[in-house]
Amino acid sequence: MKKIIIALIGFALLASCDDFLVESPKTEIAVDQFFTNADDARGVVNSVYRIGAGASFYDSGGFGGSNAMMGSYMSGLFDNEGKGERIQGQLAHDLQVDPVNLSQFLGGWWNGMYLAIARTNLAITGIEGIPQISDSERATLTAEARYFRALNYFFLVKNFGDVPLVLEPTEGLEDIFVERTPSDEVYSQIVEDLEWALNNGQLPDVPFGGGNEGRVTRGAVAALLADVNLQRAGFPVQNTSAYAAAASAARTVINSGTYSLIQHGDNIDGDSAYNRMRSDDSPEYIWSIEYDAGVSDSGYPRITIPGVVRPDGIAYGRTLNMYRPINEIIQLYNPEQDLRVQNNQMYYTSLERDGVVYEFNEYVPYIWYEEQAVFETARGDRNLNITRYSEVLLIAAEAIARTEGVTSEAVNYLADVRSRAYWQTDRQQIVDALSGLSADQFVEEVWKERYRELALDFKAWSDIQRTRKYPTTAELNPGNATFVDVIGADNNWGQTYQETDLLFPIPDEEMQRNENLTQNPGY
Amino acid sequence: MKTATKIMGVPILAFLVMISSTILMSSQLNAQISQQNMPKLMTYYSVQDYSDQIPALKSNISVDFKNAPRVEALFDIAEKAGLEIAFDSNKLDQQETVTFSKSRITVGEALQMALMGTGYEASITNRRQIILTEPAPQLQDEFDVTLSGRVTDADTGEPLVGVTVYVEGTQTGTTTDPDGFYTLDVADDATTLTFSYVGYMRQDISIGDQTTINVEMATDIARLDDLVVVGYGVQRRSEITGSVGIVPADELTPTSFNALQGLRGKVAGVNIFTNSGAPSGSNRVIIRGTGSINASTDPLYVVDGVAMDDGINFLNPNDIESIEVLKDASATAIYGARGANGVILVTTQRGGDSERVVVGYDSNLSVGQMLGRMDVMNAEEFMEVQRTALQNVPLFNSNVTTAPTLDTSLDPFLFDANGNPIYDTDWQDEATRTAFSQDHNLSIRGGTEKSSIGAVLNYTNREGILLNSYMNRASLKLVYDVTPKDWLKFGTNLTVAKIDENHVEEGGGGQEPRRTMIEMAPILPVIWPEGTPLAGQYSNQTHVNSMTLEGQSNPVHRLLEEDRLRDRTQLFGNTYMAIQITPNLEFRTQFGLNNRLYEERRYRPSNMIAAGAPDGRANFNSNENNYWQSENFLTYEQDFQRSRLSAILGASWQERTFTSFSQEVRGFSDDFFTFNNFGAATDIRQPSSNNFSWSLNSYFNRVTYSIDDTYTFTFTSRLDGSSRFGANSKWGFFPSAGVSWQVSNEEFMEDVEFVDNFRLRSSYGVTGNTEIGVFRSLATIGSGTTLIGGVRQSQSFTTRLPNPDLEWEKTYQFNIGTDLDVFNQFLSLEMDYYYKLTTDLLLDRPVPGTTGFTVIQDNVGSLSNRGVDVKLTTANIRKRDLFWSTTLNFNYNKNRVESLGVGDEDIFPGPNWVSGSQTILRVGEPVGNFYGFERIGTWGTDEAAEAAAAGRIPGEAKRSTDRRIIGNGLPDFTGSFINEVNFRNFDFMLDLQFVLGSDIMQQFLHTAEDRQALTNGLATQLHDAWTESNQNTSIQRIRHQPISGQNTQADSHWIVDGSYVRGNLIQLGYNFDPSVMDKLGLTQLRVAARVENAFVIDDPNFKGHDPEASSWGGNIHAQNIFFYQYPRPRTFSLGVSLQF
Repeated sequence: MKKIIIALIGFALLASCDDFLVESPKTEIAVDQFFTNADDARGVVNSVYRIGAGASFYDSGGFGGSNAMMGSYMSGLFDNEGKGERIQGQLAHDLQVDPVNLSQFLGGWWNGMYLAIARTNLAITGIEGIPQISDSERATLTAEARYFRALNYFFLVKNFGDVPLVLEPTEGLEDIFVERTPSDEVYSQIVEDLEWALNNGQLPDVPFGGGNEGRVTRGAVAALLADVNLQRAGFPVQNTSAYAAAASAARTVINSGTYSLIQHGDNIDGDSAYNRMRSDDSPEYIWSIEYDAGVSDSGYPRITIPGVVRPDGIAYGRTLNMYRPINEIIQLYNPEQDLRVQNNQMYYTSLERDGVVYEFNEYVPYIWYEEQAVFETARGDRNLNITRYSEVLLIAAEAIARTEGVTSEAVNYLADVRSRAYWQTDRQQIVDALSGLSADQFVEEVWKERYRELALDFKAWSDIQRTRKYPTTAELNPGNATFVDVIGADNNWGQTYQETDLLFPIPDEEMQRNENLTQNPGY
Repeated sequence: MKTATKIMGVPILAFLVMISSTILMSSQLNAQISQQNMPKLMTYYSVQDYSDQIPALKSNISVDFKNAPRVEALFDIAEKAGLEIAFDSNKLDQQETVTFSKSRITVGEALQMALMGTGYEASITNRRQIILTEPAPQLQDEFDVTLSGRVTDADTGEPLVGVTVYVEGTQTGTTTDPDGFYTLDVADDATTLTFSYVGYMRQDISIGDQTTINVEMATDIARLDDLVVVGYGVQRRSEITGSVGIVPADELTPTSFNALQGLRGKVAGVNIFTNSGAPSGSNRVIIRGTGSINASTDPLYVVDGVAMDDGINFLNPNDIESIEVLKDASATAIYGARGANGVILVTTQRGGDSERVVVGYDSNLSVGQMLGRMDVMNAEEFMEVQRTALQNVPLFNSNVTTAPTLDTSLDPFLFDANGNPIYDTDWQDEATRTAFSQDHNLSIRGGTEKSSIGAVLNYTNREGILLNSYMNRASLKLVYDVTPKDWLKFGTNLTVAKIDENHVEEGGGGQEPRRTMIEMAPILPVIWPEGTPLAGQYSNQTHVNSMTLEGQSNPVHRLLEEDRLRDRTQLFGNTYMAIQITPNLEFRTQFGLNNRLYEERRYRPSNMIAAGAPDGRANFNSNENNYWQSENFLTYEQDFQRSRLSAILGASWQERTFTSFSQEVRGFSDDFFTFNNFGAATDIRQPSSNNFSWSLNSYFNRVTYSIDDTYTFTFTSRLDGSSRFGANSKWGFFPSAGVSWQVSNEEFMEDVEFVDNFRLRSSYGVTGNTEIGVFRSLATIGSGTTLIGGVRQSQSFTTRLPNPDLEWEKTYQFNIGTDLDVFNQFLSLEMDYYYKLTTDLLLDRPVPGTTGFTVIQDNVGSLSNRGVDVKLTTANIRKRDLFWSTTLNFNYNKNRVESLGVGDEDIFPGPNWVSGSQTILRVGEPVGNFYGFERIGTWGTDEAAEAAAAGRIPGEAKRSTDRRIIGNGLPDFTGSFINEVNFRNFDFMLDLQFVLGSDIMQQFLHTAEDRQALTNGLATQLHDAWTESNQNTSIQRIRHQPISGQNTQADSHWIVDGSYVRGNLIQLGYNFDPSVMDKLGLTQLRVAARVENAFVIDDPNFKGHDPEASSWGGNIHAQNIFFYQYPRPRTFSLGVSLQF
């Protein structure tokens, strides 16, 4: 008997633990314990700043460039030195994008943007139920979430056309196979979110870096609303009433008085407006992607040294020019008059270091160059400014010309941007030249200015998508462009654009995962 | 001093009953499982003559017999001496009793006392077995015929001494004399004469008219009565219904560091991929095919009864007694939800069992050299590529009309006045070395009559062939077993081990030394010499002005100056208590512990600017894994007249807790501090910590019933509950059934003389796989930080879609096998066919991205493995002094993905690299498929127009437009071919291993062939490159990567046949004669010389170091996909092993 008692001790020791198999995570919080206070709400909203169409869309690697550059590669106006090994750049130039070849790359866009949307959906519904939060913070956080939801849907609808419209958080496997919603309805939702944020969001009205603490501002919302409406008015949706809405939103930014263009300093060689853009803080910046060498460093300095040179003391193991403007777009600039194309302004073609001059024999974005990163730390520290006041002026000029004609307001907006570049040209001369143009001629002048001014803001492909016009330039006629129909036009690599190319295919992996999806025509 | 002449053999009786001194289960769990080894004959020592010399007989015991049955007295003596006793229970009169009492008597004397008056004599074998020798039969008048003859060993022709010769069915019998002769008077009605001898197969000879009967006896290698370690106990080999691979210590490849290394090729169906030549390189083990896609494919390791969840890479291999591999469901179902990938059971040695202390010392010294150098360009060839590439620039860049030229005058310290390179550095030579390693193992074993104790001390210092890579291990094991009461046993074993290493990164695609020793430009010196501006500094590609080489840090610099230290401290042990409740029923409770502390300290100095840390970087990572298990089980053993029953029933609790912390800092003003002063850093990165645990609660049973030693049935089941699964499916049940039929025991087989042993086995059952991450069934909120407003702000997000139904993978396995020995065991065959179907795969089942997630962990999909395991052994020569045997074992496995997800979607499990995922999972295809473009060749000059349309020029790669399956990294056939020769005191072993039907994806061709002029590379990029006169080549035209870009994609040109034959081991050993050992006071002395990894025969198109590797060790689909590798050395070693 004694033995049996001893024998059973072992069983008795542990048999009573009822919760032995219950998992209790310590590094993650259970969902039902969440959304109880303002900190939780802030945490969820914070999590959408970098994902999807947010900052990570602009993060650049050394070989692949950033996602935001893909459109520029599609436009054929920009080349990259990594395309021999990162397939997306090659397929873009070859116009061989298809749902299978680019399934993983485009799937990354798609998944990232819907991930951001899912989090904003969770935030928007969750914040509503939080008891411990002030009304103004509730409004601001909701406005931020709606801004990012709109931003992500805008990228989706612009690049994929009709897309599933999901506005509630997904919590299980019910109702997950969502069909595509017509593009114009998606635009309506985007506009609704942005207008809500503009009207109810209690957002700060300051330039980026001017006290917004990195957060969404009224100007950012209005600028996005203007951009959205401009895109909606063009192909393929062609909702022409949106031009007026674009003009209105752009005027909201302009009339706020918050923003102004950076002006040149005394020394045009080192202190021009374009040199001053190599800083983090200016009344011209509406939305920037934040980088910090110590927290999230920027990869852009690494792609400002072409692989063909290897300056002594360089801190990066390998550098490549991942965003090379080819001759066709360089010829859009007047080499004598336009400051932007001159060395060490927007671009540079050689680097002097310790008395040695390294000739690139190609144009390289200079705005992204950071000496300290290239030669010391290998970590970029500067923000990437992606929505600037100049863009809003150009949107306003185009939208006003389309709806109200070539008014002096429209002319002035375009002249503001152009005269800064044509710094030695009399402004009145520019205004006079523009004032006599028809609406269509004037709009083409706006487009040229967009290609020139916004070349490093990744706008080229969106413009081709909405205008369906392709800029062609000639070596003998620099500073000018002729716009031809993009369908049937050839890119620099001899490939001909078809209508199919103007929307990306729904990635094959998503097609496989959702049988209710249809593919874009032509794929 | 009396010389210890050996007597070969002692007579014993016909039907041996092996009875261990205590009930089976209690003793055998701890007992050394004796594995007979065919070539080594058993040696017998007569108790009468040698009791004062044989240690086991000299030890003192105390006896007290009053009218005790003689049989019991014998058992009692054996038990007290820790010996086994064997005799024919029918021959000794069960009624006879003995009476004697002595508090101090040697075992030898006690045995003689106990046998007094019977005429029997005791002898003892070198296996610690007491054998009783039958008395010479009484002469009787009625004998009519005198038979005589000689008994010899069938193989060697040696006389066999002490063979029992008797007339079947009578008491008439005798034994052979030292020359093997016997004489026996028999009645004239005697018909059959039986010859019987331990270790040999019994023979029945019909007498007929013969008066001289000479017999040759063959050794018995079937070893049906051997005991084999199985889960929670041992089983007779003859009663195992499952498929179990058994590797005793002496069959493990002698190796100084890793036990798995020694298991390579020893068990059919167990594929061990040694993917690295680093001292700490770990092995990937796949038993009977890849059985999972997303969960682990590693087998379960159980060491002395304790699950070792980090594998046995760091175990002291010298201390291993045996390894058993459980392969089919009948064998693994006792491990239920953790058994699906097979189970590797390791038994380590226990303590001694007499008062004599046995000291053993093994030492191994080895020298490793690089094998499989890659053929890279020298300085001259490198410059030729540079020049040709520049000449070709206008071909690739339409806007360049004049070819650029190289201005070597910019680099006066690299080029002489004529533009010729001054240096010609062989970086493979510079970065590698001859590696010296040593291994020392000291064991001390002893005990008292009731206890045994042992200590094993191991020290290993192993150098890697890459400079400054090393690993040290010091481990101490203590083991103690005691029997305080006759119903109680207690034992414990505890190992403390410390392993430290300087590690060389083996994964990924970065600028690591394994890569840069191939790609670093040969025109650079290792260190700039006096007289140059950077004198004394390591060279770096950023110092080259005239060229635009890829920034790489010098591999010698990295290897010598960077710290990559890893420290492991392990505490591992098991304590048990066994209680004999009744003679047939034992209760055992055991508690096992495996606590591992890991510390990683790294520092990358600031002058390694091209290595991504221009201002110095220090890392400190630490974690602790604490695993415990508590297991309790009852064992019931009953021997009926014609049948045997054994059963176990038990319960188990297991828990593992993991905690970790890591921190990185950068920005040091001085490299002095390395990782020792984090406070001196200016850039403090975000720290991280983690904590999780999982638990498992299980109930298990096994019933084995055998009839007539011919039919055996085994039923096994386990009920497992795991914390890692959904609330709705915490518990899983895993049953299996097996049957074995000893066909050769059947009457109808009696006339089939050429068959010595024939057994059929079959089993079917279900096992599981729980090896996924924690919390996978729960939706939780993850947290971290993100940059907003120039500072870190906290962020929160939902981590995954919850799945409360998440449960285990289930593997249904059918096995049918046979064990066959024929022609006096000239040929032995073990063969199994299996079919494994794994369902409910723990897959990241794709869900539409519109949910905000891309996957939900779910049980969908299935895959199958079917194949054959074969082990074929032939005893080619069995002569006196010469023994030669050959073993061929192999596995053929066919793997197929049966279903995936809900819609059978393709899954791309990575690794994601050039061209995206390099592997694909597709229904109908096996796992491990490579995914990429088809390389059709290169564009020819006659295809210039076609090439231009595709944006290419002649000389560039011509590929398919879509990506396809272009190879598979997992082999169809794996196995080994082992020859062993024993000649007198010498033994020789040649162990060849082979792999057939696998492919290799040579990712290094991306940089070593396709990026000319950027780095150094393979000589083929110069000599076999496309030129107008050499168009029939798949190697592209020389192109200046920095200027003209590159054209490189994962394609079929990267794929090469991965089949190979490896000279795994060549060994020559010498065992010294007892006479020599006597003089030295030793009981065992052996020396051996070996060559490990002597040669590899592989596809001539393979350009890497070794055809077995992976640069993506964390990805189970990436076998044989590699971007350079740590070369596997050829190792010469010299070992000595002694005992006194």
